[in-house]
Amino acid sequence: MHEALVATDVTKRYGETVALDGVDLSVADGEVFGLIGPNGAGKTTLVRALTGTTAVDGEVRVQDRHPTDVDADRVGLLPQSFSPPTRLTARELIDYYGGLYETARDTDEILSTVGLAETADSWYETLSGGQQRRVCVGIALVNDPDVLFLDEPTTGIDPAGRRSLWSVLETLADGGTTILLTSHSMAEVQRLSDRVGLLRDGQLVAVGTPDELIADHGGGSRLVIDTDASEAAADALADAGFAATAEPTAVVVDNVSPVDIGDAVDALSAADLPYESLTWSEPTLEDVYLQLTGESFEGAGSRSATATPAVDSTAETDTAATQEGRQ
Amino acid sequence: MSRSRRIRAEATAAWHSFLRRKTAVFFTFFFPVLLVVIFGVLVRTQPTDGGLFAEPAGYYLPGYLATVVLFTPLSRVGSEIARHRDDNRFEKLATTPLTRGEWLLAHTAVNVLIIGLASLLILGLVLLLTTASVPPVVGLLLLLPFIVLAVVLFCGFGALLGRLADSQDGVIAASNTIALPLLFLSDTFITLDQLPAWFGPLVDLSPLTYFARGVRAITYTPGEPYATELGVLAALAVAFFVAGAYAIPRTD
Repeated sequence: MHEALVATDVTKRYGETVALDGVDLSVADGEVFGLIGPNGAGKTTLVRALTGTTAVDGEVRVQDRHPTDVDADRVGLLPQSFSPPTRLTARELIDYYGGLYETARDTDEILSTVGLAETADSWYETLSGGQQRRVCVGIALVNDPDVLFLDEPTTGIDPAGRRSLWSVLETLADGGTTILLTSHSMAEVQRLSDRVGLLRDGQLVAVGTPDELIADHGGGSRLVIDTDASEAAADALADAGFAATAEPTAVVVDNVSPVDIGDAVDALSAADLPYESLTWSEPTLEDVYLQLTGESFEGAGSRSATATPAVDSTAETDTAATQEGRQ
Repeated sequence: MSRSRRIRAEATAAWHSFLRRKTAVFFTFFFPVLLVVIFGVLVRTQPTDGGLFAEPAGYYLPGYLATVVLFTPLSRVGSEIARHRDDNRFEKLATTPLTRGEWLLAHTAVNVLIIGLASLLILGLVLLLTTASVPPVVGLLLLLPFIVLAVVLFCGFGALLGRLADSQDGVIAASNTIALPLLFLSDTFITLDQLPAWFGPLVDLSPLTYFARGVRAITYTPGEPYATELGVLAALAVAFFVAGAYAIPRTD
């Protein structure tokens, strides 16, 4: 398959700081590639390298050309922390940026696509943060690009607006648009991306499909049982053959399949141990992120709680089952 | 065709953005009013007393026009570049077909319009409030190339300032520091014989000098040649515009 984006041994230094350290990356035509990593890992610098807005060592090719030689009519970019002129309306902004290209999509169609038809004539500065970001996404789509770079496109957008934009991006991807996306929302990246790359300290430390990354780095499924009698519960579960670990107010049981949950409940019942709830979950990209970046904090045993400080935990793809326990 | 489409889109956005900043609009036009009222009406010219403002009122018209031609593009273009940089707009524009030269041309066109209107206001006020007289309309049309070229020149200068300064505050401070001496030492409000003899050649180094002398030749001493001033101003306008366009940030 033809590669729309290629980065070979890309290195970028800001004085003593190494922002990118020998990054190799290729993205195929029509592929959605998600780039994740902690703040300062080099995501934005890599986007800038691929769009030709920063000079780097190594080779970068976009549609077989140097980024600054690419037909600008075919490329779209939403930079991080981008703000257009604030006293233009959403409609005027779409018209303005559309006017910079040879041809542009219909303004009303774009406003409708990003869900701003009702507020099209409001000044940008009077819109909410989420609406402003949707205008920016609309601006990035205005030339119907073949290659689209989105640097944290859904930052500040509420869950409903975020899902609406995901649908927009999925439609673009279905139409063959190559998309490179950076995000701190693992759910977003997991849902949208064909492949994901994780940057850490300027190095691309893992690349693969979300399923591949989860299988390789996400660990197994997990059952978390909230109970004040965690030590006794862990012993009872261990006696029943489960790998259980006691925490202050919960027991964590790793590598449990859904059909084994009943056995775990029976083991607790047999020992007459009370519990408040059971939560079962599969590993997600968030677990991959935490595993590969080494980020975590001491807290309850649930995956989402562990991930809260590091990433957006809008994890609608988590498969979770919760059962109220007896008292 | 697409080039004019891009420039029109950029200029339209810049024009609307300016018009919707009421404070900026008010003070852009209030500044020349204040200037003419203070120096033309309150201070007034004293042709027999020597010192400052010892020339007839018409002598100072180039100075009043120089004020808006100098300060407005320097601060507006410089600030606009700082604002664009802060908001990552140049990063976005670098991936569009709009070139840096087209961007500067669009913003220069907006400044020509704004400064053209301010210049008309100044001419009207000078005629209305002072004893100065100006040539008929046909003669005044000769001012147009001087105003346009000077605006082009100082828009390019403003772009250089915007590139060098690291913030909007920095642009304003730098433009004031540069514009103030230029305004008073460019054969505008202070005549050459009021300055030390050794300073004369330095006045010739100021781009604004050629604007002031050319405008004065048209409005105050009709018949005096101004082709040299126009030629020098045109050459400097091209040089500063090219340098300014090149200075506009494209990468980090």
